[in-house]
Amino acid sequence: MLSRTVRRSLLDACSVLPPTFLLPCRARLINTVSHSTEADQVPEPLLNSGVHISPSPRAALKSSETPTAPSSAARLPQPNSIAPSQATTPIADSVKELLPSLRAQQPHYITAHIHARPYVVTQGDIIRLPFFMHGVSPGDVLRLNRASTIGSRDYTLKAGAVDHHLWNGKTKRKNGYLDERLFVCRAVVVGTESEPMRFKEKTKQRQRHVRTVRSKHRYTILKVKELTIRSPDEIEAKSDH
Amino acid sequence: MPYFRITLLRSAIGLPRSRAGVLQALGLRKRMATVYHPVSAQVAGQIFAVKELVDVQEVAEKMTKEEMKVSRRPDPGYYIETRVR
Repeated sequence: MLSRTVRRSLLDACSVLPPTFLLPCRARLINTVSHSTEADQVPEPLLNSGVHISPSPRAALKSSETPTAPSSAARLPQPNSIAPSQATTPIADSVKELLPSLRAQQPHYITAHIHARPYVVTQGDIIRLPFFMHGVSPGDVLRLNRASTIGSRDYTLKAGAVDHHLWNGKTKRKNGYLDERLFVCRAVVVGTESEPMRFKEKTKQRQRHVRTVRSKHRYTILKVKELTIRSPDEIEAKSDH
Repeated sequence: MPYFRITLLRSAIGLPRSRAGVLQALGLRKRMATVYHPVSAQVAGQIFAVKELVDVQEVAEKMTKEEMKVSRRPDPGYYIETRVR
């Protein structure tokens, strides 16, 4: 009987989940072994997520997210490194209601945006940025405060679309960022990496002279040290002060 | 004080020299260059002369080149929380 339920859950998982989770060993592992969620604070939809029947809560989360997203993902003011911005808009009720479900299901991933480029990471990941970050030294702690999605295995919190004003006065719908009060993501500057020296021969027409240019780029490496989702109470407490 | 924000989208290469002269008078030297001029009948007439080449918006304030560059720059997405030293 157990094997039958496992097979059922596998089939369900196959029909619902994205290709990453299609590996049978992984799906079984996730379906049978519960993650590090405490039993007392696990919300109702997660308790019976062992047998994977959770398209409905997921759909509920998504559908209720989309209309409320602009308030939680309103275009935030530009922060600077000295005084980061603090959004003052209230968190939408549906986010408050459903955030504990996401929060209870570890581990989480985040799509953090650094200079508008997305990096999908979880805690412990190492990012080699495609550029050398100026003004930081190894050991510095960066707070990543722009994210478009936060998710776990079953849940995804997506930022809604916002109007992006183009240079010619037209507006374009573009994915916004989540409210930075919802999560805490810290990355440590681990060091820099450098590529092998590149030599390029530059020539001019009708000229025997060959110039060699050398370049050696450096890249900053970050390690994601912390990724936590704040509880609604913490968010309330933060916004009071 | 309202301003015309004029952006040159198409170059005047191959057009009568008078068009190029109008662009020069407006201060538009190359494509995608943006200039601000106060709203007036004279400027409106100049814009009218090259209306096929430029994009025009009426804006309340004029921006410097540096301000326009900053407004295009995306959010860095991070700030330094603690420094080593």
